[in-house]
Amino acid sequence: MSNNLLEVKNLKKSFGGIQAVNINELKFNKHQLTSIIGPNGAGKTTFFDLISGFQTSDSGEIFLNDINITNSHPYKIARMGMIRTFQLTKVFDRMTVLENLMFSGSSVSNDSLVKSIIKTKRQRNYENDLKDKSFEVMEELNISHMANAYARELSGGQKKLLELARSIINNPDTLLLDEPLAGVNPKLAEDLLGLIQKLASNGISILMVEHNIEAVMKISERIVVLSEGSLIADGSPGEIRNDKNVIEAYLGKSND
Amino acid sequence: MVFLFNPEGALRILINILTFAGIYGLSAIGLNVHFGWTGLLNFGHASFMGMGAYVTLLLMPHAAGREGEITTTGLPIIVAAFFGIAAAALFGLLLGLPAIRLRGDYLAIVTIAAAEIFRLVVRDLESITGGVYGIISYTENLQKFRPEFINNLSLNYEFAPAQAWVGMIAWISIFLTLLLLKRLNNSPWGRALRAVREDEDAVRAMGKNAVWLKLQSFMLGAGIAGLSGALLAFNYGSLETTVFVPLLTFYVWAIMILGGVGSITGPIFGSIIFWVIISETDRLAYIFFENANGQQLAGVRFLLVGLLIMLLMIFRPSGLLGKKEELLLDVK
Repeated sequence: MSNNLLEVKNLKKSFGGIQAVNINELKFNKHQLTSIIGPNGAGKTTFFDLISGFQTSDSGEIFLNDINITNSHPYKIARMGMIRTFQLTKVFDRMTVLENLMFSGSSVSNDSLVKSIIKTKRQRNYENDLKDKSFEVMEELNISHMANAYARELSGGQKKLLELARSIINNPDTLLLDEPLAGVNPKLAEDLLGLIQKLASNGISILMVEHNIEAVMKISERIVVLSEGSLIADGSPGEIRNDKNVIEAYLGKSND
Repeated sequence: MVFLFNPEGALRILINILTFAGIYGLSAIGLNVHFGWTGLLNFGHASFMGMGAYVTLLLMPHAAGREGEITTTGLPIIVAAFFGIAAAALFGLLLGLPAIRLRGDYLAIVTIAAAEIFRLVVRDLESITGGVYGIISYTENLQKFRPEFINNLSLNYEFAPAQAWVGMIAWISIFLTLLLLKRLNNSPWGRALRAVREDEDAVRAMGKNAVWLKLQSFMLGAGIAGLSGALLAFNYGSLETTVFVPLLTFYVWAIMILGGVGSITGPIFGSIIFWVIISETDRLAYIFFENANGQQLAGVRFLLVGLLIMLLMIFRPSGLLGKKEELLLDVK
């Protein structure tokens, strides 16, 4: 089996006159923790939206596990095992933390209207298992004491944890994390980093957009740098740290 | 209030209120599946009621049109009602297919327009639907099954037995519908609908087909509305298209808001309060405005409904029975 996780070719997306994404070729390997960095407006989130199906590309192709997923529906891509989170945390506000997790963990066939009317023993057993599984995940992320709280009552950091919990409940192959550390206090950021590393060491492939460069340097195996929609650098944290293009993109060109 | 201002014929009035409250309450329960559970802003609810009513009536023996052309053959009422409900659900699906990808306000605009188109088409298809002349002579299909005890009671107490029978069926329908919805509310399907209501993008990101969930919700709510529409037709005794004007939709919305959006039993209480106001304020207003004419008095009831909704929004925005934590009408 090939080691290709995700591959994009000639991917382009523009909004009005602005070229948000323009990438000739980019490949991601399985079982790797890759970070995508770049200045604000570099096209990182748009890139995530394109590969997760939330936006359609103007041209180009996207392959997940060598299957062409260009312009597929988001839910179909998610069912292939690639789950994303959002820059602005999206939790189900007026549902409890437990319901948030049980919904996310529930299979499509378990959600069926007919089964929900008949309420077979099988569905009840499935729901009980799902509840146990939800508590396992909540315990792993230290939010089990909030199980019956409504998600809207959670703090920003707790919502980030809930979103992450929701993303991993179905054991995805791949996680797309859009700024998992944004707006989180330093202690929680530390915990989240540890969690992300743990998930990566469990074999989950992770793509992460993050502004916290220190954290990115610390945990990434590979870093991809975007600027104005294009790829400007790609390499190990050590290589990126000393890359002239990257320094320019972040700090501006020097005058001499 | 009923007994205070009109001791004679009080039971007749009470049964009238309860029948209307039951029928409109049932419709509001359907709307609640759309808006309360799934967050769909459906402003075309009257058309689902209309579809249910027309299909049910036209499949049974009836008379229609200017000449009162009589159709003597037809299906038994249970079968006709089943098709009426199914037609309303199917109409929900058809309307939903293009419209349901729209968000919030846009869906509201599309549904209110579609409902008006439905009404105008029904009005113009005179050869089938009777057009502006409407449909008559269909109530016997239901009334021939009226239990004897209603007739006996109506001999001793003054009320209309035919309406009491329709009202009874409306409340039985409410009971059965609520049993079904209660079951669904605590089910994985109900949970999925609420997730759609909260955040469609997150639903998609979890690998769930949000559009299909919304369509299912649209069909279920429309089906419930279809049944209530058929009952409304039996309550009126004759049917024509003006029944299904947008005002009907807004009545049902008012009922749902009064009772508590998202609450399963809320619409019933909302409906009873609404109908007490609608049918009793005339008498009350007459005490204060002695010289007012009927039309002016009628205005007072809408004033009261509006005032009540305003007060609710200020002091109890979750409605009478809604949960504060799941407050769905955030007016701020």
